[in-house]
Amino acid sequence: MSVAEGVQQRSEPAYRPKPFSTRLFRSEMALIGGRRRNQMGLLVLAAMPIIMAVATKLTASDRRRGGDLMSSMMSNGLFVPLAAFLVEMTMFLPLAIAMLSGDSIAGEANLGTLRYLLTVPVSRTRLLAVKFASLCAGALWGVLVVAVPGAIVGIALFGFGPMPTLSGTTLGGAEAIGRLVLVCLYLTAGLSALAAVGLFISTLTEQPIGAAVAVMISTIVSWILVGVPQLSWLHPWLLVNHWMAFEDFVRDPIAWDAPLAGLRLFALYAVVFWTLAWARFAGKDVTS
Amino acid sequence: MSIFTTRPWTRWAVPAAAVALVAAGSVAVSSTATADPTLPPMTPSELLVAVQQARPAGLSGTVVQTSDLGLPALTLPGMGAGRGSAELSGTITGTHTWRVWLAGPSKARLALLGQGGESDIVRDGKDVWVWASSSKEATHYLVPEGMAHPTSLGDLGALPVTPAEATDKLLAMLDPSTEVTVPGTTTVAGRAAYQLVLTPRATESLVASVRLAVDAETKVPLRVQVMSTRIPTPAIEVGFTAVDFGVPDAQTFAFTPPAGTTVTEGQTPLTGEKPADKGVNSMVPGELPGKTTGPGAGLASAKPKLVGTGWATVVIVKGEPRTTSAPEDPTTGPGKSARPDAVSSMLAQLPATSGTWGTGRVLEGTIFTAVLADDGRVAFGAVPADRLYAALASAS
Repeated sequence: MSVAEGVQQRSEPAYRPKPFSTRLFRSEMALIGGRRRNQMGLLVLAAMPIIMAVATKLTASDRRRGGDLMSSMMSNGLFVPLAAFLVEMTMFLPLAIAMLSGDSIAGEANLGTLRYLLTVPVSRTRLLAVKFASLCAGALWGVLVVAVPGAIVGIALFGFGPMPTLSGTTLGGAEAIGRLVLVCLYLTAGLSALAAVGLFISTLTEQPIGAAVAVMISTIVSWILVGVPQLSWLHPWLLVNHWMAFEDFVRDPIAWDAPLAGLRLFALYAVVFWTLAWARFAGKDVTS
Repeated sequence: MSIFTTRPWTRWAVPAAAVALVAAGSVAVSSTATADPTLPPMTPSELLVAVQQARPAGLSGTVVQTSDLGLPALTLPGMGAGRGSAELSGTITGTHTWRVWLAGPSKARLALLGQGGESDIVRDGKDVWVWASSSKEATHYLVPEGMAHPTSLGDLGALPVTPAEATDKLLAMLDPSTEVTVPGTTTVAGRAAYQLVLTPRATESLVASVRLAVDAETKVPLRVQVMSTRIPTPAIEVGFTAVDFGVPDAQTFAFTPPAGTTVTEGQTPLTGEKPADKGVNSMVPGELPGKTTGPGAGLASAKPKLVGTGWATVVIVKGEPRTTSAPEDPTTGPGKSARPDAVSSMLAQLPATSGTWGTGRVLEGTIFTAVLADDGRVAFGAVPADRLYAALASAS
């Protein structure tokens, strides 16, 4: 048994915390948002759709190739965030989640703040829950930082009107925005599942960089595995295989099969890796 | 406190239990999905009559199509597995997902889901639209009046007999070559279904059987599988993975090309032309992709010669002699030359073969074989290669 849990047990009768408090969560979010590296990361995420939209505006004068998400940018500004997701989900957004989640426990341990954190009357389970909740919020934050500036710049450059779907039908403005919101929520869920993996890896080490690199390697290896047709039996169990199903929200009517399968897998990953982190973290001696 | 505090290692049981639960759950789901339901017995004749009379008011669902024809890889590199291209022409091999909607006899929509794209065929009354998201092209066709609606399987109702008589006639016609049985039941897309199995009597046929799963309640065919004698898994499988027999919203069938779409008025290819008679041979996908544009472009006009009967039929088509260099068709523009090149380079990779009939190249698929002789003849059939050689030798 660690020092921290001993302290917590002794102080329990004396101090009765509120049954539910958002203080720890708010402090986590302030920490995540206040770090200069995270702010720079958000800038990079936001820059991508803007660069893509401007580049398309400047170069694609008469070149109309393909009706996929990328080249549909010309027809409606709301396609800019979608095309940006297509690009950023392969690398930038998982990288951002890898950095955040790798930092969550290992970063505290590395700075020596973890043991102080555990001396406040907060159980380890609750600490992990709050860490995961803040990672999910971080994922939403990252997705919105792509979607909102992308949509604004896209609408400014290409206009906002009836949005053509992949199915060849058009959606009204409100419904189109609704679809974009669904895409954002779906991708947040997908990245949160990756964050659960990162949270677990983060409990295994005291080196946040090591944890972040491990998460990134797992993502890159998954992308490679998805490209190998002989391993098709494995593909339904890989997170990255389901991320690109967000395009099914741009069909009419929405093709729910693939996104629902994705959401089921995301939930499974979140439960399994969060409980793994919990199992690891409970018995861990915190020495630094 | 709890056992988790006194024995921290017991916490590892929780994630293990979660994984075990999911594993058990997926095993349970797949075992209930494969469990054969108990249904009142039906004879093949009764089942075929019921299939013909099946007129679902509407349905919507997801159809997954898998083909393992043993063709050389034609797909482009870098194409992710799971979901292929959204091009309608790319559906010969691999796995493809379709969404299907039907409402009454004259409203239908098919959508081929591809990676980042979609192709749709929408029919609403007289209007048929074909949409390709990759090229942003929509083609409009008009269905001529009096066209038979496509929802009835095999338009035998046109014959001046009752469906039951027609079915008996059909079965009698099939009987010399094919054994038709209803050996049992199965579950497709979570629905109980009868299995109708056509087994070729010709032992040399590469087609082991054709299995049709018919929904027990609505008698709508839910799945077709073509089994090969060469592989244990179906060579062709087209079946619903999810199906709902509710009538889809009328809006599903409304199609207006979005702004910026290239719209073409298609010449109706359907006028006065009934769909080709579905003989046994049409089940054999013997047509090589790009055959008409590839070497020997005159093949389509040549009258095919048939050797053998039933499932063991060998079709021989005469074309122009094949040259070793890829013939560049002068009529096609520079943009189109890539495809014949790809076809000829694919043909060049096929194993060479020779015999008393001559020399050529052989393509051995899972349910068909094709021999491209250097003298321009092309032979194909649902039989092993030696049967084709024999047919070529006897025909020369």
